[in-house]
Amino acid sequence: MRPRICRWMLALLLLAGCGDKTEVKVSDTPPAENVKDPGKPVTGDWLVIHSLSDPELLNPLTSSDASASEVLNYIFESLLTRNPKTLELKPWIAAARPEISQDKLTYTFKIRQDARFQDGRPVTGEDVLFSVKAIKCPFVNAPFLRVYFDSLVDAELIDPYTIRFVTKEPYFLNESVLGGILLLPRSYYDPENLLQRISVRQLAQDPAKLPPEAKKFGEQFNRNFNRNPLGSGPYKFSHWKTGREIELARDPNYWANGKEGIDQAHVDQIKFRIVNNMDAALTQLKSGGLDYMDVLTPVQVMRGTNSERFKREFKKYEYYAPTYTYIGWNNDHPIFRDKKVRQAMTYMTDRKLIVKSVLFGLGEVVDSTIYFFRPEYDKDLKSYAFDPQKALALLREAGWQDTDGDGVLDKVIDGKKTPLRFEIKVNSGNAVRKSVALVLVEELRKHGIDARVRELDWTIFLNDVTNHRFDAVVLGWQMQTTEPDMYQIWHSSQAANKGSNAISYKNARVDKILEAYRREFDPQKRIQLYKEFQEILNDEQPYTFLYVGKRASAVQRRFEGVEVFPDGLRPIDWWVPKARQRYANVATAQ
Amino acid sequence: MSIQSPTSPLLAPDNTAGAEDANNIAEGLWSDVWRRFKRNPIALVGFYVVCLLVFMALFADFIANDKPYYLQYQGKSYFPILRGYLVGAKLGRWPAELLNVDFKKLEGAKALYPPIPYRPSNINLLEPVEPPSARHLFGTDKLGRDVAAGMIHGSRISLSIGFVAVGIAALIGIVLGAVAGYFGSWTDLTISRLFEIMLSIPTFFLLITIAALLPPSIFLTMTIIGVTSWIGMARFTRNEFLRIRNLDYVTAAVALGVTDRKVMFKHILPNALAPVIVSVVFGIGGAILVESSLSFLGIGVPAELVTWGSILQEGSTTTFAWWLAVFPGFAIFITVLAYYLVGEGLREVLDPRLRGLR
Amino acid sequence: MISYLAQRLLLMIPTFIGITLIGFLIMRLAPGDPAELRAAGGLGAAAGAGISLAKRGAVDEAMAQWRAQYGLDKPLHVQYLVWLENLFTLKFGDSFKDSQPVWGKITERLPVTLKLNLWSILIVYLVAIPLGIYSATHANTIGDQITTVLAFGLFAVPLVWAATMAIVFICGGDFYYLFPPGGVESLDFSDQWPLWKKVQDHAWHLFLPVVLLSYSGFAALSRYMRSSMLEVLRQDYVQVARAKGLQEKVVVFKHVLRNSLIPQVTLLADLLPGLIGGSVIIETIFSIPGLGQLGFESVLARDYPTVLALFTVTAVLTLIGILISDLLLATVDPRIAFGRRQQ
Repeated sequence: MRPRICRWMLALLLLAGCGDKTEVKVSDTPPAENVKDPGKPVTGDWLVIHSLSDPELLNPLTSSDASASEVLNYIFESLLTRNPKTLELKPWIAAARPEISQDKLTYTFKIRQDARFQDGRPVTGEDVLFSVKAIKCPFVNAPFLRVYFDSLVDAELIDPYTIRFVTKEPYFLNESVLGGILLLPRSYYDPENLLQRISVRQLAQDPAKLPPEAKKFGEQFNRNFNRNPLGSGPYKFSHWKTGREIELARDPNYWANGKEGIDQAHVDQIKFRIVNNMDAALTQLKSGGLDYMDVLTPVQVMRGTNSERFKREFKKYEYYAPTYTYIGWNNDHPIFRDKKVRQAMTYMTDRKLIVKSVLFGLGEVVDSTIYFFRPEYDKDLKSYAFDPQKALALLREAGWQDTDGDGVLDKVIDGKKTPLRFEIKVNSGNAVRKSVALVLVEELRKHGIDARVRELDWTIFLNDVTNHRFDAVVLGWQMQTTEPDMYQIWHSSQAANKGSNAISYKNARVDKILEAYRREFDPQKRIQLYKEFQEILNDEQPYTFLYVGKRASAVQRRFEGVEVFPDGLRPIDWWVPKARQRYANVATAQ
Repeated sequence: MSIQSPTSPLLAPDNTAGAEDANNIAEGLWSDVWRRFKRNPIALVGFYVVCLLVFMALFADFIANDKPYYLQYQGKSYFPILRGYLVGAKLGRWPAELLNVDFKKLEGAKALYPPIPYRPSNINLLEPVEPPSARHLFGTDKLGRDVAAGMIHGSRISLSIGFVAVGIAALIGIVLGAVAGYFGSWTDLTISRLFEIMLSIPTFFLLITIAALLPPSIFLTMTIIGVTSWIGMARFTRNEFLRIRNLDYVTAAVALGVTDRKVMFKHILPNALAPVIVSVVFGIGGAILVESSLSFLGIGVPAELVTWGSILQEGSTTTFAWWLAVFPGFAIFITVLAYYLVGEGLREVLDPRLRGLR
Repeated sequence: MISYLAQRLLLMIPTFIGITLIGFLIMRLAPGDPAELRAAGGLGAAAGAGISLAKRGAVDEAMAQWRAQYGLDKPLHVQYLVWLENLFTLKFGDSFKDSQPVWGKITERLPVTLKLNLWSILIVYLVAIPLGIYSATHANTIGDQITTVLAFGLFAVPLVWAATMAIVFICGGDFYYLFPPGGVESLDFSDQWPLWKKVQDHAWHLFLPVVLLSYSGFAALSRYMRSSMLEVLRQDYVQVARAKGLQEKVVVFKHVLRNSLIPQVTLLADLLPGLIGGSVIIETIFSIPGLGQLGFESVLARDYPTVLALFTVTAVLTLIGILISDLLLATVDPRIAFGRRQQ
């Protein structure tokens, strides 16, 4: 057959909606839920996940992007993990949760004796110690991971399967941080055992005093381990074709196969297919090239995924993504120093309409900096409804009036007549945030406030934010579904030195609350502290809180075991009954 | 490999006018040009389209505006659009009853609105992504902004970028080309190296680099398009100067002691302008194309500005909203085509060989 | 000949330096700091966990260290010279984004861009030459008028518009699905496929991008061809050939064509710089992992080594292209002599 005819036939096939590739035996039976009990999980089949871009690196310590951690989480394990439903800490490679000393400074972990890395070697205390040393080594290119462990001053092995950590100050999240260290095989990542004689205590001190092996290790680690991760997890790294795909293969010799309390893997291969363009990705999903898209754009959710055919093949899941978007007002700015002005701005923002229209309903208005599924979230906060008249009244109270008839409010500040004019900065590449800014600006202009939007390239934008060079900014924070700690964003000390308190919020009472919270080990008391904290913020409106976004995912229906958890979906749980399996491994797995 | 650069690629490779009596062409050239130009129907159509576009750009505020031309309210008459101009120039103020008011919601008011009663920035979250209808001739975008209004006002941006960018390019190109062609030898050698450098630089890549790195602004876009597209004009100017320099009347002028500058710009340049003018017209078309690519990629255009390229970009990501793709793209196409046709018409008229003189 | 070659090569050096200097200055003088970008990733992650970054000092130190590692803290001219020196030993350095050797990243993507552009050049010539010939031989007829307007029309179509229309109307979405909306190969592309299947898959994916890249090219080239042929047709020796009684066809194809093809050769040189720049839009819209996309992303990420490397590669390609086309021209056209033989 001549190629051209082939191509047209293929196109026709796809058009005609037969849609199925010839080698796939997808039956036209109704969706999974109506089928009788699918039985126990079995192995087999592949899961093809959509990835929007390549990760930069697949180095467990130096990678900092989300794509990388998504992949690495299948390959590496840590001492502790969390129950997906309750979010409680539970042991993984550790035999049990650690023993914590009375003064809350020492954590002792016992390590399981049956865990093995993917190259067959057992996981021992030496590997755990090595993993910590690698993080602490100043020559390893992971400065931002290292700050997590600033408080860790020492770690040593009591016996081959027991490790003891010593921290500088009590902090209720220390257990979680220590439990989350990714465990690296020493023999693979440090074949020459360069770090053997260097202690964690040494690494915590002056880098200039360290022996040359530390530097050598750092350089080797940064350079040689970026595309070949090896851990103890259920999936081994197969290959990475840049710009195309990353393939992980299930390890049939996984140490935890069949063991209680550890997540079991079922799917034989996980492929991350890289498609940079969301529209192209949806087309691939529909034509069978992808099984799972974890993020659909709002337009796709409203328009592109509602045909009968789509619903037969795929199931959509909508759940809250723990990120919230806000408008940050520079609290040091002469206009925004005044609480009334900030409150007025919030009244001027039609948040409900924004969610409905810009987000196509995929979100929820929020009034607090805490993830609203957390117990710490204060449900009794008074919400600011959209009320421009109230806003104008507040502004008048604050002294703003149009004294010169040019259509813009003004006020005399520090002896100068200042118009109510400012700039909202957004970063380029985020259409939703830009839309939010544009909507707000348009509304403000109608009422005599001369606001503008300025779109900046990400690096420039970031620079401006960290150096407090802005009037107002649209940004978001990623929240944890686990215990929050608002110190870094709201404490006045964090406003200097390019800290995360970019809006320069300073409130003495809030400072005290944040400090007390970190030392509080009783969950109930913590909730009380944060209740007061949220009330203060609600009154002061240093941010105009906008919304929590909802995420929509689509999964091909042949997968069983798909469930929505607080943290989202967990593909590792999924499996496909034999009758519906689509792909088979061509070569035998190693 | 798209040769969509602002230099004039559709011209024949060596466009030096070969007639020996070039000095006679200067007199009566323009009336002669116009007369011959009119004989070419296609070029004439192009010319009228260009005029229409310029008109549209100049009077955009009167074609698409959310303020009415004329308003009768509570017994008094107003002219809001004109008043808006005055206030903007700080020459007047809004009367208290009209301050920041929504004209469409005034009770008991009689108003006469422009044909498209919206500004491109009017956001209306209740009517996002609407297909073309009686209310919105060309539909709306995702923020409910009227596409027709965006296109009318967008013509201002596209045309002004075209003119200014090419103006800058012409300035640089003519001066450099004249100097190179007139003085020859070492000056020519150095300047020609400069030409070679600019030719070898991937101009579009350079454009993207500069535009992406610096904060977006229209002036920046104009400048960098201008600065990267002067080479064609420079080359033509240089060739013309090289040729004309050796003609008798120039030698005579030099012998008489006329200063170099006068010789170059008073005697030679007017006769050398013919290919450059054609180049300028093509250049405007090219600059508009480049600008549309830049705003499509999202660089160089400030956030609030609605340009043809930005609407088109939205069309490429919202694929079911075909009107976002069809209309602005078509506008760019027609504009550029008009300029090219005018340019081609001019070229045929100004090139003596094709005139059949000899 | 040798002296000419040597002369040209020597002259290329200042040009080369000029290009790289411009590229270098632009990248380095523009605002935006790659160290800050790396910090941003960390900031976001740390904020989420609520760990104190009062040790922001430590972060600054890390950034300073990182900058020192890449020599970004030295004065500009030193940086430029260092980079130039490395260039002569072909050390393009490592990318800032993922620490991979830049040369590797370029060679990985080069085949795709090359394929795209070579095919497009081929199509340009294949379509433009016959079109130009037709136009010239039927000058000023209705046919010629139509082709003229078509050529101009095609040339005026903005690339972004054509590509967007393609994506909206024929690449899936709400209308028709004739071609894939992106990528270079189907997702289940396998090396085990038979050759014809692989070729067909690639052809299906690259068809639209190639056509889009070429249409303005063949519009322009056909006009060049036309005017070039017209020029030749007017020459005296053609009249002579006709007067001699030779058949029109012979006249055209033997004499005229050869001579009018000459200038087309020089255009090849102009096409090469467009290799990287022109592909940017197409590669971005169609998600093709080529050099254009790499360039664009690297600029946005302030990945200096990669951007500079791409600049350099284009510069070299262009200079070579100019040289080749000059040489070709000289060999094909006996009137052009080298050096100073003719005044």
